[in-house]
Amino acid sequence: MTTLTAPPTASTSVSTSTLRLTFPHLVRSEWIKLTTLRSTWWSLGIAVLLSVGISMMVASASADFAPGFASVGAILMPTQFTMLVAGILGAIAVTGEYSTGMIRSTVTAAPRRGAVLAAKAVVVAVLIAVTTLVSYVIAILATAPILTVAIDWSDAALSTLPLALGVLSMVCFALIGVGFGFLIRNGAGAIAATVGLLFVLPIVASMFMMAGEAWRWIVDASAYLPMNAAATITTPGGTDLLPAALALVGWAAALLLGGWAVLKTRDA
Amino acid sequence: MIVAESLSKSFGAKHAVSDVSFTVRPGKVTGFLGPNGAGKSTTMRMIVGLDRPTAGRVTVNGQRYAQASSPLTEVGVLLDAKAVHTGRTARNHLRAMAATHGIPTSRVDDVIDITGLASVARKRAGGFSLGMGQRLGIAAALLGDPHTLILDEPVNGLDPEGVLWVRRFVRHAASEGKTVLLSSHLMSEMALTADHIIVLGRGRVLADAPVDELVRQWTRTVVRVRSPRAHELADLIAPEAVSVTHLADGLMDVEGPLAPAIGDLAAAHGIPIHELTPTSGTLEDAYLSLTGDDVEYKTKDI
Repeated sequence: MTTLTAPPTASTSVSTSTLRLTFPHLVRSEWIKLTTLRSTWWSLGIAVLLSVGISMMVASASADFAPGFASVGAILMPTQFTMLVAGILGAIAVTGEYSTGMIRSTVTAAPRRGAVLAAKAVVVAVLIAVTTLVSYVIAILATAPILTVAIDWSDAALSTLPLALGVLSMVCFALIGVGFGFLIRNGAGAIAATVGLLFVLPIVASMFMMAGEAWRWIVDASAYLPMNAAATITTPGGTDLLPAALALVGWAAALLLGGWAVLKTRDA
Repeated sequence: MIVAESLSKSFGAKHAVSDVSFTVRPGKVTGFLGPNGAGKSTTMRMIVGLDRPTAGRVTVNGQRYAQASSPLTEVGVLLDAKAVHTGRTARNHLRAMAATHGIPTSRVDDVIDITGLASVARKRAGGFSLGMGQRLGIAAALLGDPHTLILDEPVNGLDPEGVLWVRRFVRHAASEGKTVLLSSHLMSEMALTADHIIVLGRGRVLADAPVDELVRQWTRTVVRVRSPRAHELADLIAPEAVSVTHLADGLMDVEGPLAPAIGDLAAAHGIPIHELTPTSGTLEDAYLSLTGDDVEYKTKDI
């Protein structure tokens, strides 16, 4: 078996005078943490496969869509499924630390906890943004031969703008998961809350569409739920994007703020 | 130097730590001794800011831990062996910890070698035995080559060689002028490792003293005497003795006069002695009398 054979000294080669806890260092640490877990790569792999697969299915059916269907929609349509992967990845990036006790190592190394949350949010956001971009690029290349009408790259409103807002949406979904992770701390609870907000609430709200004028406000309000807001801003050629975009970013910001408050005040 | 002033921590109605004050000085190994639930871990968690004190404050080298510009080079902490993500390899865990302070990867490999983790460094920590987890925790504590070491139950789960290594390691660290605070409920280990002991019981400081002083204050020195004329000898000793306990025919424990005095007294009266054994108390006796039911968590100024 392994033995503790080295001489009992800790002062070997490290010069401690230049070592500092800084935000860039924390981001680097969170990057190592997120990319050295298999669950991260599983989640990202599934997200890319789902995205590309669904895009190709939509593209192959594109000839039968109603006229006026913007081809970029085929790339963006999988978002309503991959958003769950993004949200869950964000949630378990946090709750995995609580369930294993890692959080105690984390906040001992970085006792100013707000910076930990910020660094984690940055890393999750970057990883999801890059993954989403990669899946869009693959999907665009894979659907190009199938689409009956090519994506109109000359009009930003029908190409790059919805795609960019699609990336923003995925980042917000992941950060909503991160926020719930810090708020709830428990893996199953945080995933349930994330899926509930992203996926279940819009369905519940849509049930009130048939309920008449008295319930109209629920349907109106549901336009600002994360999934519906994302659908609004990623609609090719859509208008009045700003309120929906602010609502989506607001959800992520509010949940991160709530998570920050819990992380600051509760014992780790 | 760790200074705790009137530190208290309540979890709801339960008082885990009540008005605890102590100073842990550099150049010594200070032991936190106490039964389970005495507040050792909670106090250590408050030192590094994991738990927020309900009242009081604690500083490390004059400042609160959270104010340090490089916490890992100030304090190395082993709180529990399970503060590691089970899905990450040991080396990646240490890399992530090191990265927070810009500690180079070469130092990660150093602490892996120092703690004997080389053969399992690329295995996921979830499969580690208690002892391996403990070595990984110690490796993490060493990353920043800190001035202060706080180790909660460091020998828990280690094999005898590992126990010896930890003992030599903390002695060496103290000899270099570092501040070392370690907790244990193993008195035998404490007696061998620590210079100074803080005994906690039910969240209060029961004793805070050098090891030998603690032993002297809280244990009795007894001389076991065996003689065919024990009763006759007992009568001669009686005026000097605190107590004489007859254990069996011809065997007694004498508290008060020391072995030479008893021997001389017997010789002066021509009483034969078959056995004369001084038994001084151990840290374990001191601990039991401090925390045992008969003293019921009574505090004593030493």
